[in-house]
Amino acid sequence: MSFGGRLSVVLGLFVVAAGLAVWAVVGFMLPTTPTVDFTAAQPSGAPVDLTVQTVGTIGFGAHPTWVSYLVKNPSGQWVHSTVWKVPAHTRINLTIEQYDSGSPLRNQQWGLVAGTTGGVATLNGKPIALYDSNSGNGVGHTFSIPTLGISVPLVGIADDAKNPCSQAPCTTDFDHNVIKVSFVTPGPGEYPWQCYVPCGLGFLYGNGGPMSTLGYMGGFLDVTA
Amino acid sequence: MTVTAERETEVVYPDPTPPVLGGFQGLPQRPGWLSQHLGTAAIGAVLGYLLGHWLGNVVASGYTNIADSGVNAVAITGGLLLGVFGWLLGIGALNYPLAKMVGLELRPDYESTSWTRYLRYTVDHKVVGLQYVIGVLAFLFTGGLLAMGIRTELLSPSSHLFGPGTYIAIVSEHGTIMMMMATSVIVGPLGNWLVPLMIGARRTAFPRVEAFSFWIFTAGYLVILSALFYGGFPTGWTGYAPLQTQAGGGMMSYLVGFAVIGLGMMAAGFNLAVTIINYRAPGMTWSRIPIFVWSILATCALLTLATPTLVAAGFFGILDHTAQTAFFVTEHGGSSFLWENLFWFFGHPEVYIMALPGFGIVFEILPVFTRKPLFAYKVAAAGMVGVALLSFFVWQHHLFQSGINPDMRPLFMLTTELISIPTGFIYLVGLGTLYKAKIKFEVPMLFALALFFNFLIGGITGVFLSDVPVNVTVHGSFFVLAHFHYTIMGGLIFAFFGGLYYWLPKMTGKTMNKKLGQIHFWIMFIFFNLTFFPMFLIGLLGQPRRVFEYAQNLQALNDFSSVSAFILGASFLVFVANFVWSIFIKPTPAPANPWDSLGLEWQTPTPVPYYNFERIPVVLSDPYHYSEENAPAVADLGEEGVLVAAGASSPASVAEDPRPPAQ
Repeated sequence: MSFGGRLSVVLGLFVVAAGLAVWAVVGFMLPTTPTVDFTAAQPSGAPVDLTVQTVGTIGFGAHPTWVSYLVKNPSGQWVHSTVWKVPAHTRINLTIEQYDSGSPLRNQQWGLVAGTTGGVATLNGKPIALYDSNSGNGVGHTFSIPTLGISVPLVGIADDAKNPCSQAPCTTDFDHNVIKVSFVTPGPGEYPWQCYVPCGLGFLYGNGGPMSTLGYMGGFLDVTA
Repeated sequence: MTVTAERETEVVYPDPTPPVLGGFQGLPQRPGWLSQHLGTAAIGAVLGYLLGHWLGNVVASGYTNIADSGVNAVAITGGLLLGVFGWLLGIGALNYPLAKMVGLELRPDYESTSWTRYLRYTVDHKVVGLQYVIGVLAFLFTGGLLAMGIRTELLSPSSHLFGPGTYIAIVSEHGTIMMMMATSVIVGPLGNWLVPLMIGARRTAFPRVEAFSFWIFTAGYLVILSALFYGGFPTGWTGYAPLQTQAGGGMMSYLVGFAVIGLGMMAAGFNLAVTIINYRAPGMTWSRIPIFVWSILATCALLTLATPTLVAAGFFGILDHTAQTAFFVTEHGGSSFLWENLFWFFGHPEVYIMALPGFGIVFEILPVFTRKPLFAYKVAAAGMVGVALLSFFVWQHHLFQSGINPDMRPLFMLTTELISIPTGFIYLVGLGTLYKAKIKFEVPMLFALALFFNFLIGGITGVFLSDVPVNVTVHGSFFVLAHFHYTIMGGLIFAFFGGLYYWLPKMTGKTMNKKLGQIHFWIMFIFFNLTFFPMFLIGLLGQPRRVFEYAQNLQALNDFSSVSAFILGASFLVFVANFVWSIFIKPTPAPANPWDSLGLEWQTPTPVPYYNFERIPVVLSDPYHYSEENAPAVADLGEEGVLVAAGASSPASVAEDPRPPAQ
């Protein structure tokens, strides 16, 4: 083979290898979870209303059987995202629509409402500071931001609910609980949040799958100046 | 350096039986396009994967845990295992046993000079060696690209390129690929290529096993890489339970890949160990075998004895995921400690699987470029054997922080410190050889010298880490990460490149560009240290491994390390450019013995004939008597004369040292 031929073959192989590397990075490594921006929705300093929902099975995407959070964007559409950009030093009014069922907690500490304004939450309009998961429907999930000391138990719907939702996004026509809390964001930074109730069904101990995958039961509060 | 002399001991050997390979006798010769090669291996792997995955779905898709999780470990495992089987079937690795099962024989192998032999299942140890060169370089560059991803992510403590799960998947993939590559990086390419030549043999003991080890190694690479497509695995390269038992589909790639590569490691180690023990040329006594061969023998002992533990542990893990056994599930009667102990019973000897052949390489290089005998040859050999033996008694120092019985800590601290003694012997052998030497700073020598600098830092920090108080303090931090990169990359990878620059002229018949080699070395050496030394500080300041966020005050050090890492990565591109340019694009023929070495491997023509030696040499002394007056002859090469060191009065020394040929 001539000099030019050998050079062409080598360059061709290099291009193929580089293409494979780019394909792997773009296709499998870069995050697929979009960031939902709430910083421009309200006037500066005004409270941000954040509405999210938890569903037992999301029903679409790469893992349709997984439990997941969704968030309502400023336009009012439900988005499958757990990365939310919010302004710093601002009151967040968080409404969580809980469409999943619950169970007794392994650690009753997670039944405690912590870090919210007044140290309370409302469950279907009634204030609670501590929920006994051994009574009623139990707790399905928590919404917890460890670095801010925030944790809210999300009380589950009844196991025998007549109209459970099995396909996200769920509408309020389905059985659900509404949990509301408020808190004030700190200075700029990225604050991870996480559900602390092992709810990865089908995974040993319940901590795999959706519990350890960004976009399902954990995400980031991206607080910007 | 050979002089013609009458051969005193005439040893006549029958013509070697040619190793067999290829089509089946008694069946029609298939056309060339139907022959087995890399393409048929790929087709076999794809078909095998599809079949295995389908079977797994048929068997297990109705299981509750699989329906709930959406992860069918049975289908993934079935696909990967049958994919590996299809790969081996497609390349022809199973032809021989299959032929024997149906009472057929294979056609004799032929001496092919076509480049396509590098894409086939071949029993020529020199072809397998070069296949391994390309294979381990593919491993190295894949792992290196992932390392670039890690350092890119760590440029900022809070702005992220990847998600946290993807980051740990990249870290895990990087670690696993690099460690798997490192187990074979010298035994595979240089061990297979050089050992038969160095000991005066025409082939290895089990050529098919040798070829099998390479092709299953490549299958293992693909299996481990496939983890990325299943979402990766979160455990790092150590695969610790209970995290392992909770992980998703990527974990199956890790377990199957480790087990598959483990089989290849055992095959490679077994073949070379038997070759060294049984295939030495007449006169090649234990005190005359090249020190590189000693290092490979010690390594092969470790590969053969330690790796079965890993393979067994891998299969236990596979069963936990697929058949719902509970080997590593504490609540169900198993123990996550079982994995940790089995893993490190393999894993710590593996550290020496990586270190020993690196020293073997530099001990071959030092005498040649100092023109001095290897200092304390027997101490070096004893040190290697000592390290190999002691390496089985230190594994629990990895578990100091895991809740083991505290009373066990001093014992394993002691054994770990003990291993620094034979390691120190080995290190001092190198320094003794360099003492008062007139050094020729050729590219291989630069890499050999760099090993001593890097390994000193890696070794001393290793002694710190063996002490329980320090270990407890810096466990899981970047300090540990810096330590093992200094020993493995600073030792093994520098030795590997030194070995490549040293032996590639013989292996390929082409001369590597010296200027590009020097540029490669200096960039790699400087930026290796600038990348990893700051990590000691980063670790002492508290940054944990495997976490994609870190304290704001560590950003400057991390950025310095990251930028250095990018330049370090670029240094490998210089090597690739040199390799491709010098070997493929504009090749310059290399002389048969460009470094004036006394090693037997250099006394053959270039390219080395199919059967290595026209006549088996008779070995008369070890090959390190450089610049010695009255040095004994090294070997009787038959019609080509007697090999002696320059300046020695060789014919007399042949007469003084008549040794009977070994059987």
